Amino acid sequence: MNHRFLVLVSGLAVPVAVAWLSSMPVAGQTRSAGARTSGSSAKAYTAPRTPDGQPDLQGFWTNATYTPLERPKNVSKEFYTREEALEIAKRTAVEEAEQTEPGTVADVHYDFTQFGLDRSQGAMALNLRTSLIVDPADGRLPPLSAEGQRRAADRAAARKSRGGPHDAVQNEPLQARCILMDRNGPPMLGGAYNNTYQIMQAPGYVMILVEMLHDARIVPLDGRPQLAPNVRQWTGSSRGRWDGQTLVVETTNLTDKFAFQGSSENMRLTERFTRVAEDTLRYQFTVEDPATWTKPWSAEVLWQRDKGPIFEHACHEGNYGLYNTLAGARAEEKRAAEEAAKKKSPK
Amino acid sequence: MRMRRAVVGVGAVLLLAAAPVMAHHAFSAEFDINKPFKLRGTLTKWEMINPHSWFHVDVKDESGTVVEWMIEGGSPNQLIKQGVTKHTLVIGTELTIEGYQAKDGTNKGVGRNLVLANGQRLFLGGTAGPPDNKQGGK
Repeated sequence: MNHRFLVLVSGLAVPVAVAWLSSMPVAGQTRSAGARTSGSSAKAYTAPRTPDGQPDLQGFWTNATYTPLERPKNVSKEFYTREEALEIAKRTAVEEAEQTEPGTVADVHYDFTQFGLDRSQGAMALNLRTSLIVDPADGRLPPLSAEGQRRAADRAAARKSRGGPHDAVQNEPLQARCILMDRNGPPMLGGAYNNTYQIMQAPGYVMILVEMLHDARIVPLDGRPQLAPNVRQWTGSSRGRWDGQTLVVETTNLTDKFAFQGSSENMRLTERFTRVAEDTLRYQFTVEDPATWTKPWSAEVLWQRDKGPIFEHACHEGNYGLYNTLAGARAEEKRAAEEAAKKKSPK
Repeated sequence: MRMRRAVVGVGAVLLLAAAPVMAHHAFSAEFDINKPFKLRGTLTKWEMINPHSWFHVDVKDESGTVVEWMIEGGSPNQLIKQGVTKHTLVIGTELTIEGYQAKDGTNKGVGRNLVLANGQRLFLGGTAGPPDNKQGGK
């Protein structure tokens, strides 16, 4: 049986991967190279204007990518060749649909030949970068500051004091509780599935609908100040402005609950959205948080035009998994207690 | 047999890096590695919902009694983009499902392999083909 599945899967995944790779547009090479000189690639392309004169970023986009945030330790260069990037994408697409070994913890998952294949089945820009981080030049997060190290230790101790991961619903990660995911951020980073965003522009506002978890980021463009420092929100307070072709969004007023990559609530985030081609948007962000890192760092992701509409990700409504996980943990505790009682009681 | 193990083993190693990012929760916390199952049943309802879709399946047990199972699948969003609708999988379709049962011992499980009675996959290998190009349209 398993042998048959293996043949079936390898027979499925390889042609699919090859089919899409042969038609994949180059959204990386020249544009990514151009991006190094801060926007020179945008010179060749001028985005159309909305009726009120803003560069038009509207529509559906995906930030799906196989490029890791940090450069792998065995890679020293900044860019792959197109051939290398295609080969990595092809191999990773096949791996995503590979069978796992029955009876191993890694095998407990839904059907990877059917679900979670957005990057191999849907739109994706081919990014030639070896890491999304562009600064520092080594493509890796800067070292933690002394304060950042202390806070990381404090947070780990606080987590431990709250008990096991399934002892209470509050101990479950934010994504399992349908509160916030890395697709949302901010900053907004892709994952294995549901990486679509819809941008809508109206006079004075930009709205970014994040597919997962169906959150609308509404960014005022009228120059109003940020919220008062005592007002803290999961996704912070975002204010936007145009810098030529580029939409610049600055976010502060975060909480320490999301803690992007271990950040503090005083992280200051600057996102830059530039449409560099009809079907490509360059998303750059800079993180400034001296309470966490020894210096600021920046990353860059290419967003590819995607098709819509977005099917509502009504996460809470369908989140049976959270109940099942907690119910499973209680059932295990009960079994363990019964076994312990059996051992104690004389025969 | 030995060869199968070897090939599957390579796949498992490669997936170690990819698997953790595929889900919004930890599968092994919800489902029991020690309770694998293989069911054959008919689809009674398909909940095309997020964060995970659920297949409701009627399964006959050894005594001939019909028992309802709920099987977890992935987020349906990408399937919908590829043209799969709630009508793609007809109620009454016979399915063979391999997976792992929920830790709380109820008739729920994760559908590790979802296969039609004729051996075909449900969607990507059947009704929904690969995309025309990687741009995804407008």
